[in-house]
Amino acid sequence: MTTAKGDAMTPAPADGEFRAAGPDLADPASAAAAPTPGNPASGRRAGLPRTGRPRTGRLGPAGWLRWFWRQLTSMRTALILLFLLALASVPGSVLPQEGIDPAAVTQYYQSHPALAPIFSRLSLFNVFSAPWFAAIYLLLFASLAGCVLPRTVRLVGSARQKPPRAPSNLARLPASASYTTDLTPAAALDSAAGLLGGRRFRMRRGEGWVSAEKGYLREVGNLLFHIALLALLFSVGLGGIFGYKANRLLIVGQGFANTPTDLDVFHPGRLVSPSDLQPFSINLQSFRAKYVTSGPQLDQPLGYYAGLSYRPQVGGPTKHYTLTVNHPLVVDNVSVYLIGHGYAPVFKVTDGTGRVRWDGPVPFIPVQQTTLTSEGVIKVPDAQPYQLGFAGVFLPSAVEGAGGQLESAFPGPLNPRVSLVAFKGNLGMNSGEPQSVYSLDTKGLKQLPVAPRPLSAGQSVKLPDGAGSITYVGYQQWVSLAITYDPGQLPALASGIAALAGLILSFLIRRRRVFVRAVAGPDGGTEVSLGGLARSDAAGGFDTEFTELSQLLREKHNGRSMRASRVGDGTVDGPADFDYRERPRPAIPAAPHVAAAPANAKTVTAETVTAETVTAETVTADMATAEAAAAANPETLTGREEE
Amino acid sequence: MSWLPVPARIAIGAALAALAGLATAGCDGGQIAANVPQSSGQSFVSRSYESTFYQVGHRPAAPSVSGTTITGQRLSLASYRGKTVVLNFWGSWCPPCRREAPALGTLARQLQPDGVRFVGIDIRDEPDSAQAFMQNFNVSYPSLNDPNDEIALEFHSTVPPAAIPTTLIIDSSGRIAARIFGAATYTELKDLVAKVAGLTS
Repeated sequence: MTTAKGDAMTPAPADGEFRAAGPDLADPASAAAAPTPGNPASGRRAGLPRTGRPRTGRLGPAGWLRWFWRQLTSMRTALILLFLLALASVPGSVLPQEGIDPAAVTQYYQSHPALAPIFSRLSLFNVFSAPWFAAIYLLLFASLAGCVLPRTVRLVGSARQKPPRAPSNLARLPASASYTTDLTPAAALDSAAGLLGGRRFRMRRGEGWVSAEKGYLREVGNLLFHIALLALLFSVGLGGIFGYKANRLLIVGQGFANTPTDLDVFHPGRLVSPSDLQPFSINLQSFRAKYVTSGPQLDQPLGYYAGLSYRPQVGGPTKHYTLTVNHPLVVDNVSVYLIGHGYAPVFKVTDGTGRVRWDGPVPFIPVQQTTLTSEGVIKVPDAQPYQLGFAGVFLPSAVEGAGGQLESAFPGPLNPRVSLVAFKGNLGMNSGEPQSVYSLDTKGLKQLPVAPRPLSAGQSVKLPDGAGSITYVGYQQWVSLAITYDPGQLPALASGIAALAGLILSFLIRRRRVFVRAVAGPDGGTEVSLGGLARSDAAGGFDTEFTELSQLLREKHNGRSMRASRVGDGTVDGPADFDYRERPRPAIPAAPHVAAAPANAKTVTAETVTAETVTAETVTADMATAEAAAAANPETLTGREEE
Repeated sequence: MSWLPVPARIAIGAALAALAGLATAGCDGGQIAANVPQSSGQSFVSRSYESTFYQVGHRPAAPSVSGTTITGQRLSLASYRGKTVVLNFWGSWCPPCRREAPALGTLARQLQPDGVRFVGIDIRDEPDSAQAFMQNFNVSYPSLNDPNDEIALEFHSTVPPAAIPTTLIIDSSGRIAARIFGAATYTELKDLVAKVAGLTS
């Protein structure tokens, strides 16, 4: 679990807080007070005097609530919820869904009369609107919001924070320098403040010291990232509530309007009513598919072009657009995508009384994508004296295969053929039970003895028993359109970009502090000491900046005898932010809130706390303590140094 | 979220956010990813039967629908002004429409003397099969041919048909007084029409 170590001990780049160093001391202490099953909350804020909660394992209602909230907003819970969400979606793809295919649900009831009512009670035919499904994703949403919101609040605090007071011994800082000058301490500090202020450091003055800090934009970046993350969540939710998705199969020469009755599949958001649909209409005037006709890439599509005419408004002007894959038509903020295509052979069916009962294209669905071998059914429920049904196979480029069977060799219409199986009897449509237009319910049907002869355009088959005849007239093509309206799309994009910008900002900008102390020296001069440190200075650069600053200041002060300039590794990475206790040093006066920790709370550096010695559990508890303590006492660092 | 390094937290957070969004969106992603239509292809009633009556004063004006009937005559809804009109959106391919057809045909004849007129709007249909339907179910009232659903679209801002079949009852002043989604039954349709037309049965 190096990850555990990583978070506990390294300055978190996007975390943004200058976490007080103190609580890191308490690692072993809080490890000892790790939560136990019967006492879930006791370990969390063990070292925190603020709460004053007795550590006896008894929790009041508020304690339980707090415990529940902490559990809910923990990463572990979020992951469990995520897993549950995935698990809960499984029945949605295994069992037929009412919203998607009601006919299949009806069928399921017929084939599983015992199970179906139970499944229905459990909302298994309607998984995505089931209460238990909603419960999971609402919990997940709450978990996420509960994680990000408090974080955002903390970041606001961090971005507005004033620099801490200067530590008493600046020589202990990763970068330090000192010299003496003839100026008075006050004058030296004034000019130091002038220099730092000129470089846009945020400043704080005290008795004999100046403390300056820069790089708050990092916190702004963090803040931006977190707010953008929330905005992203909301905008995606927005799409789910006010957006919709639909599918429509459209044959060349036909048109459709954007109304629920004219869409094949319609998934409205929760607050979408039929009158919210943008009232455009689209006609498909032409369709062309280009394929590779030779070489190893044979049969591969080169491009699809659907010529559309459309009217954005009822009675409005007609416009034209050539729809290609991934170049949607955008009408009224609704995107219309080309997602599929196929053939619709044209049939003419005459019934036993000699009247034409069907004359038009019937969409067949590709069963083999490379050659577009397609299957479909023709239903003629009003034929007399018998209802007629046909199941057919369409071969766009029929060739004789190895077994003497016809098969399609190419997706383009080089040699289109149709073979049909004919039925008469009851199609089962008059009962009102919904059924798919792409399948034939053969329960009430009798297959007619018709020789399975592949028809070419213009050929007919006469049906026995005086049932009529069917003619294969030719073919038409169809396209499948996806219609999507997502009002959250643009906000989601914007928040995505903002999140990225915030992240980059927080990675590029480092927060660094420079302290200046000036005291009257024994020889009448003034001793000026400088100290500085930067956090997670991965890009480097603070050393240079500090050296330059100290040189400038010395020149400005006309200082002499620059002493023990320890400008070296000005970076603190590894241990908690600004933890300048990593060098051996005399006893550290413990911060008040650390005092509660057992005596074995001693200096622990990043090197000693490793994955081997501390389990993830422990570090989690430590973190909770550390964060809580930091929140309670953001000035721990200086408090300890000064008081 | 305390025991992971921040970049991991960010990544997981973002993933969770995306997933949570997906969840609120109903988790139906992938529905349209398929290359072929997955569903029945034509969206007759996937919703259950539903009827609504609009009180006088809350009735939206019906659009001035006109067009060509299946048999080739011009027809305008405006010519029925002063009469109660039952407007039925149907298709010969739609099983629930076939179930309600006998009731509608019978009621159209029965209520003719009371000044009630029936008009059909045939959606996404092929003229030959539509005519065959009317013969078989002995439907004597005219139906406008609306292969591209343009008439349905004209009801967009009033009471848009949300299912096939949809039946609207328009009162004598040209306002939509009632609506039925799904297959209408003889009794219920008769009661609703009587209520709108002020008939005593």
